[in-house]
Amino acid sequence: MSDANVTNAANPNPPAPPLTEEDLLRGHHPLETAVGYILQVGVLLSALLLAIGLTWRWFVTGHFAIEYSIHGVNLFQFVVQEVRLALAEAFRPRLFVNLGIAVLLLTPYIRVFASMILFAAVERNAKYTAFTAFVLAVLTYTLFLR
Amino acid sequence: MMSFPVLLVISVAAGFVGAMSGMGGGVVLIPALTLVGMDIKHAIAVSIVSVIATSSGSASAYVKDHITNLKVGMFLEMFTILGALTGAAITVVSSRRPLFLLFGLVLLGTWLALFLQRNEHWTPVANVDRFSRWLDLRGSYYDQAQGQVITYEGARAWAGGPLMFIAGLIAGLLGIGAGALKVLIHDLVMGLPPKVSTTTSNLIIGVTALAGTSVYLAAGLIDPGLAAPVIIGVGAGAYLGTKLLVRLTNMAVRRFFLVVLLILGLEMLIRGIRG
Repeated sequence: MSDANVTNAANPNPPAPPLTEEDLLRGHHPLETAVGYILQVGVLLSALLLAIGLTWRWFVTGHFAIEYSIHGVNLFQFVVQEVRLALAEAFRPRLFVNLGIAVLLLTPYIRVFASMILFAAVERNAKYTAFTAFVLAVLTYTLFLR
Repeated sequence: MMSFPVLLVISVAAGFVGAMSGMGGGVVLIPALTLVGMDIKHAIAVSIVSVIATSSGSASAYVKDHITNLKVGMFLEMFTILGALTGAAITVVSSRRPLFLLFGLVLLGTWLALFLQRNEHWTPVANVDRFSRWLDLRGSYYDQAQGQVITYEGARAWAGGPLMFIAGLIAGLLGIGAGALKVLIHDLVMGLPPKVSTTTSNLIIGVTALAGTSVYLAAGLIDPGLAAPVIIGVGAGAYLGTKLLVRLTNMAVRRFFLVVLLILGLEMLIRGIRG
């Protein structure tokens, strides 16, 4: 009997069994870490853009309120339109608010896309690559709705 | 025009409760917004956008803590997105009273389900069916409250999938995450430990809400000027809620939603009946 076992038997509250290598590797890294970062960056970037838009609006007009609706465009048209304005340096509070919303909507979309790549290339799991591709295809279709 | 500070305060509170419960912020947000005078369809549309922020924000933390089960999430997302599209399409053409009634009923149904199983502790499923085994829904995570590693295996995926279509339908229809229902399906049908249910539900909610959002966007129901403060408020509230969830035990979390759900459900139902 090894020394470690003797110590364990004497201890009335033995520590939890150590993580086996299988426990640590089971579907975890690097897939989950990558997904976590995509979600975090997307949400923070979106919040930053929205906050800039609203704060700028407040400096210019003394109030935060911006009222307008988006009509008759799907998300991809919306994104293209806003990126074009940004490239033309047509900056105004509305542009930041719109970009913030576009980034937010694209965050889960990119997360699914990244999951698909990781299931395919890193985990080499055909079953889950197919599942993820289905989700991505449906989302792509819906974002073209108008 | 809605007052900006009111909108922000409501949103922070909604995000906090949503993250604590894994329900998404919508369940609190929509009743509150309609109470301060917003049209229910616009409230639903704004809410579902903010649900993307709440769930993605919380999910990012849980995923990195390795509590979330990505495979369970991806499998079930196939069903929830189809449900969300159907649900959102129905809301766009529906009249308003049925939406209030349905909202109230869904909240009370969730309350009842959570109330009835409030003393149950998680026990692993003994026999995992062949389909679930084929899907490989095993997982493990370190539980901070219990100070040990929990290993588990998801089961009955053949029932969980179709039930998730219904959860997605309700999410799209009412602009909520429908997280409580998703958690219930994970807990009772698929036998996942409570923390895995809550966090995996969070991940699924983001994609489900995106599917619903695209329908509301196409219908012209999303007003970016209102959505912006709501997203920021809900996001900030959710961040605080997430920080607390990892430290609290399951019982404390459950007790907290029970009270919130009951009050909101009754309130929406009364407004649906009165018209």
